[in-house]
Amino acid sequence: MNHNLNDKQTNKKNENEVSLSINGQPITAPDSLSVIQALWHAGYPRVKGVGCLDGVCGSCSVMVRRADSSEIKMELGCQLLIEDGMDVFFSVFELPPQHNYELSRINTSWDVQTEFHKIFPEAEKCRHCNGCNKACPKGIDVESGVELAVKGRFRESGELFVECVMCNLCMTGCPEFIDPNHVGLFARRVTGYFHTRPSNLINQLEAIRTGQLDVDIEEQS
Amino acid sequence: MSQNKVMSGSISYQQALGNYHLQKQSLEGFPAVELSIDEKQLLKEFHPDHRHETITELQVGPNKGDRCHKQIADVLQADSRIDAADLAGTRIRETDVLVIGGGGAGCAAALMAAEAGAKVILATKLKLGDSNTVMAEGGIQASIEKGDTPQSHYNDTFKAGHQSGNKKLIKKLVMDGPETIRWLIQQGMQFDLNEFGDLLTRKAGGTSANRVVYFRDYTGLEMMRVLREAVKNSDVDVWDYSPAVELLSNESGHCAGAIISSLQECRYVQIKAKTVIIATGGIGRIHLNQFPTSNHFGATGDGLVLAYRLGAKLRDLDSFQYHPTGVAYPQHLSGTLITEGLRSSGAFIINALGERFVNELKPRDIVAAAIIRECQEGRGVVGDSADGKNVMQGVWLDTPSLEARKPGILKKRFPKLVQLGLKSKIDITQTPMLIYPTLHYQNGGVVIDENGRSTIAGLYCVGEVSGGIHGRNRLMGNALLEIISFGRRAGARAVKDRKTRGHKQITIDHISNLRRELMQNNMPMTSKSPLLFPEYAQFDSAKNSTARNSSSTFCGVCDQ
Repeated sequence: MNHNLNDKQTNKKNENEVSLSINGQPITAPDSLSVIQALWHAGYPRVKGVGCLDGVCGSCSVMVRRADSSEIKMELGCQLLIEDGMDVFFSVFELPPQHNYELSRINTSWDVQTEFHKIFPEAEKCRHCNGCNKACPKGIDVESGVELAVKGRFRESGELFVECVMCNLCMTGCPEFIDPNHVGLFARRVTGYFHTRPSNLINQLEAIRTGQLDVDIEEQS
Repeated sequence: MSQNKVMSGSISYQQALGNYHLQKQSLEGFPAVELSIDEKQLLKEFHPDHRHETITELQVGPNKGDRCHKQIADVLQADSRIDAADLAGTRIRETDVLVIGGGGAGCAAALMAAEAGAKVILATKLKLGDSNTVMAEGGIQASIEKGDTPQSHYNDTFKAGHQSGNKKLIKKLVMDGPETIRWLIQQGMQFDLNEFGDLLTRKAGGTSANRVVYFRDYTGLEMMRVLREAVKNSDVDVWDYSPAVELLSNESGHCAGAIISSLQECRYVQIKAKTVIIATGGIGRIHLNQFPTSNHFGATGDGLVLAYRLGAKLRDLDSFQYHPTGVAYPQHLSGTLITEGLRSSGAFIINALGERFVNELKPRDIVAAAIIRECQEGRGVVGDSADGKNVMQGVWLDTPSLEARKPGILKKRFPKLVQLGLKSKIDITQTPMLIYPTLHYQNGGVVIDENGRSTIAGLYCVGEVSGGIHGRNRLMGNALLEIISFGRRAGARAVKDRKTRGHKQITIDHISNLRRELMQNNMPMTSKSPLLFPEYAQFDSAKNSTARNSSSTFCGVCDQ
């Protein structure tokens, strides 16, 4: 109901308005708005770096410094409520080239570890600088995830990346050019690809394949 | 707020919290108040589709004379963004298959076409994977449990769509269910499993069996990151920040490619293609009836407009889904979806008097209409937010009682919602969330056949942009199934169908026809479409200002 940001309510100055800086521009807006909504509210166009507006697409990563701190944090612009004195910049990092692999080229699950080190040779060079963990807006223990993958413990590694939205911020935080989120996704994908074999699904596939199950479109329930 | 009037004399937020009590009993111990009107009447009186003042008749195009929502009619009957002069000197690229849209349907189609050896370009408005798919967290339907059958899945889908879906399409959808799950697993997608490695399933509103498979409350996120990685590691040529603004046609009126607006280069590119697959998704960001939406930022109905202009037939343009459980508070998350998985797991919906008022597992249109009714008749929670500024209304989604009955379930199965609560300073294990229906899904769309082919040769449409599968109301989990099932069908078929010889002549003659027809019908032609972005993003004003002042250092479109 309140999506309309030109709403009269929000236009009038009131005590809940805060002043902050976004991409170097001074902006005043009600404190109930997110960073992206505040930009629109102040009349600045913003298309790039806007995605699902639901915290799961990873497109709107921003760097933020709060008034009472010199620390720079990574956040998602759609989820971050504005505060007085905040300094926000949309990240515009160019992505380094990706690793290239196809799951179907890994012959058996016995080969996964060997293939992993061929695909991600830099992963074992992690120097535990904590850069990826600091960069993650979702609070994922990225570094441990990489370490587990290097040890071949892919299922455990992948579990740590459940909430990963592939915003790529951890890539920018890594001095060894490891792509930690892609390591995590690889760990998750090989687990599914090689180890998910549900009997309930397989039985139903077989029943469909052999014609035991079909649909009569005229049958009424 | 204009369409959603708050009743005076309603119950305030604090008062309603006082009326709210933890319900530890099961569904049986705490029965819903029987609806005092029958379901048809409920829909007629309270579902937003039935607001007659919002419906109009289309004046031009293949659906001339059909019922259509006014805001959809406005974009279908607007002027094109393109003039013939815009194409002078544009770069031209050629491909076998052009996929427009980078969500689940587009990725599935592109992967299948590339696997079959076709040269594929996938052009998407924002970044690959920026889509509604990534937010569709509740799960995907497939009849896999013992005792469940594709026939039951078919019957449920047809019934929920008010007997108006296309039977042949529904049959393909449900028969593809188990194979679709297998294919996703082979792409590396994970699902929630039981201790023996079998897929866990749950019910959806309107289903007769446990048929929704899922991964936590992150099903769409898991699906999308896997498909995105698969596409990026394939031969598909991905064009980010490249919305399609018009289709191209050949001498016979067949689809022959598209005109792409490159946001980063601020110029147009023509892509000649033997076949085009539109997978642009839905319309939530048009905010029909001023509703908030659960949809992605880019969901502005572009594909509908492109297809309609080339002469493709559409259907059910007056039927939309309002998801019952959108966030009503806090304000910056207004419209954000709370997954139906909560209700599937047994969460109640409670009014301001502390009563249940509807069976929460009725189809979405019924539950949404019932919530709107509670609010309109004064049994909703109304009032000022904590800061006393914003008026809101809604009913409770009773997560605390669910947690009390099944300790730990919220953290284990719904981590995304727990996070959302934390960010909003609401502990959902203690306090219920205030919810109100949110504009969620376009039930209708482009008429297609069993392989996603539209009525125009060379043009395929898959996913939410297409119509016919869900009739006039969609079941939870059938959208994720549809995008993969029909995405794969279209991708495979498009390769088979591609013409061996290229098109002789590529034109945009259909735009001249459109303009002539608009003028003959005295249509205003003041606005242009496709919209590309919601009005509040101020995309068009930014484009104009950068054109005037190229030294601007604050272009939110191209960052140049």
